Amino acid sequence: MRTASGTRVRATPAAHGRRLRVLIAAAVTLVFVAPIYLMLVNAFKPQEKILGNPVAPPLPPTLDNVTEALTRPDNLIPLGLRNSLVVAVVSVALLVPLGSAFSFYVSRRTGRTKAAVLLVLAAGLMVPPQVTLLPTIRILTWIGLDHSYPGLILANLGGGYLSFAVFVYVGFMRSVPDEIVQAARLDGASGLRIWWQIVMPLVRPATATVAIFLSLWIWNDFLNPLFILGPLQGQTITTGLYLTIGQYSVDYGQLFGIMFLAAILPVIGYLTVQKQFVAGLTSGATK
Amino acid sequence: MTRRHSGERGLALLAALALGLYLVFLVLPLLLSLRSSFTDENPLRATNDFVGLRNYTEMAGDDQLRASLVFTLTLAAGVTLAANALGVGFAILLDRTSLSYRVMRTLAFLPQVLSGVIVAFVWQTILTQNGLLNTALTTIGILDEPYPWLGSPTAALISICVVVTWVLSGFTTVVYLAALQSIPLELHDMASLDGVHGTQRFRTVTWPMIAPGTTISVTISLITVLKLYDIIAVLTGGGPANSTQSTALYIVKLAFTSDRVGYASAVAMLLLALSAVVALTVTGALRRREINL
Repeated sequence: MRTASGTRVRATPAAHGRRLRVLIAAAVTLVFVAPIYLMLVNAFKPQEKILGNPVAPPLPPTLDNVTEALTRPDNLIPLGLRNSLVVAVVSVALLVPLGSAFSFYVSRRTGRTKAAVLLVLAAGLMVPPQVTLLPTIRILTWIGLDHSYPGLILANLGGGYLSFAVFVYVGFMRSVPDEIVQAARLDGASGLRIWWQIVMPLVRPATATVAIFLSLWIWNDFLNPLFILGPLQGQTITTGLYLTIGQYSVDYGQLFGIMFLAAILPVIGYLTVQKQFVAGLTSGATK
Repeated sequence: MTRRHSGERGLALLAALALGLYLVFLVLPLLLSLRSSFTDENPLRATNDFVGLRNYTEMAGDDQLRASLVFTLTLAAGVTLAANALGVGFAILLDRTSLSYRVMRTLAFLPQVLSGVIVAFVWQTILTQNGLLNTALTTIGILDEPYPWLGSPTAALISICVVVTWVLSGFTTVVYLAALQSIPLELHDMASLDGVHGTQRFRTVTWPMIAPGTTISVTISLITVLKLYDIIAVLTGGGPANSTQSTALYIVKLAFTSDRVGYASAVAMLLLALSAVVALTVTGALRRREINL
């Protein structure tokens, strides 16, 4: 340890303790992120080097795995990325207004109606998707949307994702002062306008939480796209990756390249909106 | 006046649309599943007759179902304990504000962002017979020959438990960190003045004060494991010899591979009841605990 004048002094026990703590924390974190390190370095190494020493850093790094994944003749990965993006963006763009308008409408009703409706919606958070999967496909068949992207998006809108959106929004609606809504009403503003121009800006943190988590979950979803789209109607990036795991059980380079492409968007998204991410996650964890 | 009315109706319409979608794509499927559980519906044999409670009585003698329930509950208990213990430990370790700790917190949460398919595949390259773990352990000399981490029922159970715990620990850490930071500093000061330190401080101050975090963390851990599909499907596919076949996997197999839709629906009803009972009793118990602490 150095003092301001630059002479060495004996480290105090407290400083020792601090340094030990950082070392322990760093060691634990390193072990914890080791699998992610493996995924990252091997995406930029050729097959021989992956098999030779999977732990080594990618020196020199190669982009072959990633470009090969993007230029496969069946176009599986670019299509998968595009499909996942479309499904996630459209689903979230519809779930946000549906969830918030519903929450605003319900939160202005009397206690009993509100409680009953919220109880029914709570079920959506608990129901395992395997329970509703098969009948959902049957309902989509009735309306002629089975094995299609609109069908997958519709199923996303009505399932547990809506419950999640409503629960986040209802919590935030409580903090919208009743006087503001009443005043706007006296000024002749309609319910629709009050919701869109007054309430929505006030509950922006809720919209951030809903949009962040729903995009992540829908992007990473596996069961619904696998069975609702089915094998013939193209793939999202998750089901496409699942398919290639079977095909390329020996070509690790290719697989790590595809995994990198599937993970990069959520990871960048997480790193950019980390603060809102953590805030959304922990809003219920403290009193 | 007309404009105002159309705006009033517009909001109600949007709300009704949301409720309608929920009814059609969640409540109706639940009811259809319930109805189907009383039939012998099988698209392959084109049967769909009412069979009363036969599916439910069949469940009582179904060894695969019993094994799947034991596996699912064991995994749920193991993961919940491990992920919450790790989460508390990690949170206490990382509860500092300097840059290095913030970087570590960011990294600790990363697994939570990845899809289960990716998580399972990365761990597969680590855990398979000639995977990274065995290569490392045999090179160092800890093992003489590769150990089948996914090859025996017990080892596969523990491996899945480790992988799912790895994913969930990022989440529990963040929740416990927030809970820790909500503890008023005066409380710690008071404990210091009274000479309460270390494990005693943890027991009497920290642990009771993070109770709301524990409630959320434990509930989410349990529900996650009961629903879990992708990680197990990719990592072991339910093997070896169906030993890691969770109830969720068993339902999908019955419905889509064996085409026994009626019976699959009955098992699905059981899983639903189990999730509801576990979630409600555990959450209820933890909530009461929050008040008593």
